[in-house]
Amino acid sequence: MSEPDAPDSPAAAPVPEVPPSRAAHWAALAGAAEWSDAFRTAKVRVPRERWVEAHRALKAHLPFFSWLSAIDWSNEVAVGDPVEGDPVAERFEVISRLADVSAGEAVIVSTDLPGDDLQIDSLSGVYGGANWHEREAAEMFGITFTGHPNPVRIYLPDGFEGNPLRKSYPLLAREVKPWPGAVEVAPLPAVEGAAGEAKEGGA
Amino acid sequence: MTTAEERYLLAKHRSEVAVSVELQTEDMTLNIGPQHPSTHGVLRLVATVAGERLEKVQPVMGYMHRGYEKLAEVRTYAQVTALVNRIDWISGFANEVPFVIAAERLMGVEAPERAQWIRLILTEMFRVSNHLIFLCSFPAELGAPTPLMYALRERERVLDLIEGVTGGRFHPNFNRIGGVKPAAGGGGKQKTVSQDLPRGFIDGTRRAMAAVLRTCDDLEGLVLGNEIVQQRTIGVGYLPAERAIDHGVSGPNLRAAGVPFDLRKVDDYLPYSRFDFDVVTATNSDAYDRCRVRLGEIRQSARIISQALDSLPSGPLQAKVPRVIKVPRGECYVRAENPKGEMGYHIVSGGGRRPYRVKIRSASFCNLTVLPSLLEGALIPDIIAILGSLDFVLGDVDR
Repeated sequence: MSEPDAPDSPAAAPVPEVPPSRAAHWAALAGAAEWSDAFRTAKVRVPRERWVEAHRALKAHLPFFSWLSAIDWSNEVAVGDPVEGDPVAERFEVISRLADVSAGEAVIVSTDLPGDDLQIDSLSGVYGGANWHEREAAEMFGITFTGHPNPVRIYLPDGFEGNPLRKSYPLLAREVKPWPGAVEVAPLPAVEGAAGEAKEGGA
Repeated sequence: MTTAEERYLLAKHRSEVAVSVELQTEDMTLNIGPQHPSTHGVLRLVATVAGERLEKVQPVMGYMHRGYEKLAEVRTYAQVTALVNRIDWISGFANEVPFVIAAERLMGVEAPERAQWIRLILTEMFRVSNHLIFLCSFPAELGAPTPLMYALRERERVLDLIEGVTGGRFHPNFNRIGGVKPAAGGGGKQKTVSQDLPRGFIDGTRRAMAAVLRTCDDLEGLVLGNEIVQQRTIGVGYLPAERAIDHGVSGPNLRAAGVPFDLRKVDDYLPYSRFDFDVVTATNSDAYDRCRVRLGEIRQSARIISQALDSLPSGPLQAKVPRVIKVPRGECYVRAENPKGEMGYHIVSGGGRRPYRVKIRSASFCNLTVLPSLLEGALIPDIIAILGSLDFVLGDVDR
């Protein structure tokens, strides 16, 4: 994969010897051009137009709907840390995970949505389990799943404004009162500077 | 005289009107929960009922939504384990394991064998504890309170042992990236092998497991042989295997539908392949079978624990990790067979000390997605049997 945020970017640590992933196989089935299997997590990337079609093609082999969610790729974050190193391509990534219930095979299907057009076709006609996961992703990220049979909130109360899992959404509790735990995570330049220094943890 | 006759006729007419009105009953919307004891937390069901029969059920959730996915983004990896303990508080330790393994894989670290064995033993002990809670609450909700005492007594033995190792009964917070925490009281000299598990833990666990197995025989008769339980659960809440798979139902609920799928057999997140155990399945996929599978799983867990105690390797509890844990950029999903089903974490690391995004895949949430279809057409008293048999916890649903 050529994306700057790809898991197999040069910054990644060496991975121990693992059995080969079947990501290429799933990519061929789903008609996906890009795939990766870094960290033993098979992932295929499909364009938004082929989202439902790709799931339909994979369902015969991977009938178990594990989960669906999204990632807000953003360089400006209101909470937490931004991605280190090269800036990421700003977008929303919708990911779903499909699995089988015999050999333990699984794949993550991913697609990108531009930040100004957060619409994607609903998977609830393909996988029954997608219904609630899409409701959650819709309210947490503000994504519209077109064709969803019951597009109502699942967790948030009526009248709640904003999409809490977006990177631009602040953590209100910390705005009111600084978190005492922040003291422990303050930078430790002396240790960080010493490259490769490994100390026995937990002592 | 005439007034009495009139009154009589009027009353007769009224009752006839009342009867004819009753025959054309309207559907009623019944609100069940969120405070109902059988909802295992704060689940609310908005049910449309026709008489005693449920026509449509809409579960309402979010009363316990704590936003752990957001909170994980502002905490370091070591702090997140304290958070994820509280997702499914009945099996707190088992929630930590897939999270730390995902972070370890991203860092290219592997826990030493002894730490993996301890993780495995404690996970199985939490499975025993979880299923014992199920065997206490499920019959009690159905009107058979006797098994409660037996199951809770055995659970207390298991919790005491867990407390001896981790210092906590519910929220052990015992996993560290690269291994497990040195046991309480070890101090700076904890590296000698004899001090990492409390003295008497191995013998105590063997005794506790023998006691649990004896109680399993009692519970077999008290729960599965109980006429109240049988009458209220056999044939109730039928879940076809195809629908379960399509909705992502996992764990004992899936195995009760006859699907012999267990992540302990197909994944290698912990060294389960070194031990001999059976995947317990059933065929009828009703509330009774879901209960039966869980009782069988306690016995298998006891089997795994006794083998693991026999082969417990010596060595360090911690792999060498930097003092400041920074996880390289990447994405990793690790799933584990939790007592309630597939529990997984998709960690997206931006290369810093805190995860960029954590997607928590919890078993109870996915298991509940079949609830509306299970309850449609069921009777109101069956709600309790069906809800109980799915074995969910609202903390695991709402996260």
